[in-house]
Amino acid sequence: MAQATGAPSQAAIAAKQRLAESFRRRGIVTAILSGVTYGNYTAFMTLAMSVGIWAGWYGENSGFTPFAVAFMLSALGAALTDTFSAVWALLIAAWKGKLGDFGRSFKTRPGAILACAALIGGPFASTAYVIGLQQAGSIVVPISALCPAIGAILARILFKQPLTPRMMLGIVICFGASALIGMSSMGGTEAHPNMMVGLLFGFGAALGWGIEGCVGGYASSMIDPEVSIAIREVTNGLSNLIIMVPVLAMIGGADGFAVIGKALGDFESLKFFIVGGFACYWGFMLWYKGNAMCGAALGMACNGMFSFWGPFFCWIWIGLVFGIDGWNMPPVAWAAAVLMIVGIFTIATNPLAFFTKKKEG
Amino acid sequence: MMPLNFAILKLFTNGQEACPDNVIDALRPVYGDFKALNKADVLTALMTAESNGLLEESRFELDESGDVRVFFRANADGIATINKYIR
Repeated sequence: MAQATGAPSQAAIAAKQRLAESFRRRGIVTAILSGVTYGNYTAFMTLAMSVGIWAGWYGENSGFTPFAVAFMLSALGAALTDTFSAVWALLIAAWKGKLGDFGRSFKTRPGAILACAALIGGPFASTAYVIGLQQAGSIVVPISALCPAIGAILARILFKQPLTPRMMLGIVICFGASALIGMSSMGGTEAHPNMMVGLLFGFGAALGWGIEGCVGGYASSMIDPEVSIAIREVTNGLSNLIIMVPVLAMIGGADGFAVIGKALGDFESLKFFIVGGFACYWGFMLWYKGNAMCGAALGMACNGMFSFWGPFFCWIWIGLVFGIDGWNMPPVAWAAAVLMIVGIFTIATNPLAFFTKKKEG
Repeated sequence: MMPLNFAILKLFTNGQEACPDNVIDALRPVYGDFKALNKADVLTALMTAESNGLLEESRFELDESGDVRVFFRANADGIATINKYIR
């Protein structure tokens, strides 16, 4: 190994600065792209769950109990997307020669922690979110958007990552923007009898996603992100498909495995689940990678733009491309997107330093 | 045999500094056929580890082709954390 020498030259200092700036820029772009791909994943999963056999299942004569429609079908949609995402993750890992590392990493301590984080952020948080929506209505959407703030605070406590008042301000701005979209697109805050229970579940979802974001990001500083995401998707796909759906089906009075079989045999919806799974792979892989490269606070705030990209790509794919009514973008979403960019900019850079730099120039 | 990224981090638990080329040279005998054992991917892995406090930059210089060559090392906390998670 090399030994230390004298002070670096000016050219070396300039090259080093360029390298550091390029790494930071790549981290931010990665985290933003995670939100973009997450939006596509949402759109294709939603599309898949509205065509073919799913149209009947969500229709008036589905034959399912209201519980099975609300919970089992939601879990099944997530399970199919995660399972196809796992297949994509394994194929991409094999193509890049990382399949061996997938097996080796699964058996290690960081691998086990990652699998636990995936379960918390996957089946646990997703189910808590659906229950929250059912019990408390749309108020749960902005509550769940607290996940970047929770992730940043946890990363500060667990991994000593930086969290300044300016970064917190940026997170609050992003949260406000997500809340704006959530409230506008889902019809405001109507009264619900189990509001407090619903809010508790909504907060549980935010906690789960916050934990997954910060733990997954940190674990991806040890495990290759493409291997991390294979661990995540295999864990989530299998646990959702083999445990979550059958259990929810049993509670809802349905035959879970028969429903899974029918869903897997319906090519009309399956092709969209396969595309959704591909977008899901990129959404979560880039989320982990972005969080690892630029820290949980900035990474999760950039990813948090999915609350804009979700409705945006639903409008593009479901509304414009497939011509299904009811998917127009709420006008406030555009204003919220600008607000999110302001929030991300506030976390990423000190505006005062920007003005000082200009003065110096 | 441990995963490649684990092996990269474990290399720094001896307290010595290393640049991406040093890491590739040290791991080539075992991981030589891994596609990810290249300068760009190893540098990204090292800079990501630095962002998460596992490694720190020890120095840098220009190499023969005018590219910056960054050396990293693990401090006592970094070594303890790496050894805690990777055995």
